[in-house]
Amino acid sequence: MEMNNFGDEIIMFAKRTKNLFPPIVKDCTYRLLVNKMTWVLIVILLLPCLFGIVIYNELGDEREYEMQDGDKVYLFPDDNGNLVPLHIDLRENFVNQSDLFNISFVAIILAILFSSELINEEYTQKTMQLLRTTPIHSFEILLYRYIAGVLCMFGILGIYSIIFYLTTMMGSGQHGIIENLDVLLLILKVLLLESIAFMGIFCVFTIYFNRPFLIGIAYWIIWESIVSGQNYQKLTVTHYLNSILFDSTKEMSWDVVASDYSLVNSKNDIIATEPLTAVLIIVIIAIITLILGTRGLSNRQF
Amino acid sequence: MSIRLEQVTKNYGNVQGISNISLEIESGITGILGPNGAGKSTTMKIILGLSRPSRGIVRVDGNDPFTDWKLKRKFGFVPEYDCFYEHMSGLDYVAYFLRMHDVDKEEAEKIARKALSELGLDEAMERKINTYSRGMRQKTKVARATVFDPDILIMDEPFQGADPTTRGILMKKMAEWAEKGKTILISSHILHDVQSMTDNIMLINNGKMLAYGDRHEIRKLMDNIPRPISIVPLKKGNLRNLAKRMLDEKWTKSTTIDEDNNELTVETDQSEEVYMELPRILRNEKISVQRIYSEDDSLDSLYEKLVEGAQWK
Repeated sequence: MEMNNFGDEIIMFAKRTKNLFPPIVKDCTYRLLVNKMTWVLIVILLLPCLFGIVIYNELGDEREYEMQDGDKVYLFPDDNGNLVPLHIDLRENFVNQSDLFNISFVAIILAILFSSELINEEYTQKTMQLLRTTPIHSFEILLYRYIAGVLCMFGILGIYSIIFYLTTMMGSGQHGIIENLDVLLLILKVLLLESIAFMGIFCVFTIYFNRPFLIGIAYWIIWESIVSGQNYQKLTVTHYLNSILFDSTKEMSWDVVASDYSLVNSKNDIIATEPLTAVLIIVIIAIITLILGTRGLSNRQF
Repeated sequence: MSIRLEQVTKNYGNVQGISNISLEIESGITGILGPNGAGKSTTMKIILGLSRPSRGIVRVDGNDPFTDWKLKRKFGFVPEYDCFYEHMSGLDYVAYFLRMHDVDKEEAEKIARKALSELGLDEAMERKINTYSRGMRQKTKVARATVFDPDILIMDEPFQGADPTTRGILMKKMAEWAEKGKTILISSHILHDVQSMTDNIMLINNGKMLAYGDRHEIRKLMDNIPRPISIVPLKKGNLRNLAKRMLDEKWTKSTTIDEDNNELTVETDQSEEVYMELPRILRNEKISVQRIYSEDDSLDSLYEKLVEGAQWK
């Protein structure tokens, strides 16, 4: 009987989606994109792209190349003086710089900023009180805001990654850019999963804590940065993102080892998680955060 | 559509919001009156399900408003404070909340347009809310709360910041909604406005409900509080004679002469008797009067006695 009720509720939520989803996501997306802080972060993100352009100019026309099947393949000398395709070097630069030290921190700040704008700001402006007097379930209030947050976060980071990929790889010419699209797709996949997990986590912080920004930064530094390199790293999101990166780069026959992604414990055993399991765990984390967030919203009193 | 509160208490930590309030509100207009911090907004929030009572039971149409989100379909809420998506136009704002009621886009826009137009916002409805005057904001709040035809309207200081025209429009609308059988709960500091709309009031102070019901009936129950009855003689010279004569009667508690206004005020706890006896006394004393009146059961007076006077229980 309860299962039936639950099923009915799900069907009802699904039916209401066509009326609830578009206006909420439209409004939330607008608010996120006109937020000045969003643009400050976008400018910060674009700085490495400028750096890529500078490197390209420095390389200038000194590059050597050879023709392969009608494509111009640019070359550079490796440590032994042998000429190897330039795109192999550049793609590693792209992955390393897109990796957790560069884009991830901005991604975290974006997630904190967005969750705060989507939820905390509605408490401040008291629009949340109005929403709580309308026939919309707390789950719907949170879910559509969460989706808008994920879309904006992934949209911004994704577009940035494409620009960054192009500026980094353009030194290797059209051949290098096309040859390494799978690397770009890998980064986009990781960014999407990162957006899915961290938006959920920071939404929960925003709902349960009065100072979500401080809690979020503390969480990032203590949990995702310090614990993620230790024995208990399976309790962090970063571990699962690293596992996906590690597995995929290995699949692409890159010369990588688990310790490159801190996927080893204190005994130097590899503790990487299977990529499919990692994706599932990230999705489960997102679902748990939505459930916790819904509970928090429902119980919040005004 | 009934609202029932049974021994409801709400505490905020050590601070008491409301204490042991029991009442049943039926359709029509009910005014909630009380000074700032009396517990009016807390009472409204508990009825709306925005806050959960620390003790007691709240039922709206037999359901708990805090947990039953579908019940919110029946509520229209006009908050005291501004709560807008300032970047939206008035039309988008009202339509947005209609969409939250599961109304499709075209229909929502059509209904929102009509509601805003009825409240005189034809010109402004497509402008952004952050350009609106206070009156326009007030009308937009009311339009948002009433546009989906709710059964229960809860309005916290709906006339705040409204100019006389806006106030007139809103009062007319409220009278129309009440006639349609809606349950309307209104809090206002402007007692005159409430008095002109309803006799049914709830008086609250320091979180405690002092009185609830018809204001005339409430006043009748307050027999132990002297009621002032003012007499204005035609001739000013009659004031002192009349005051002396009135003091001979056992029901006179005190008399006050106001020479400037040519007025004698008799304080009594047996007003019915005064009204019965006064014509005889005046006839015997050969005193003609131009006016006898008592403003005592006006809302102002009732409010003053109940809220500011601790003597009545």
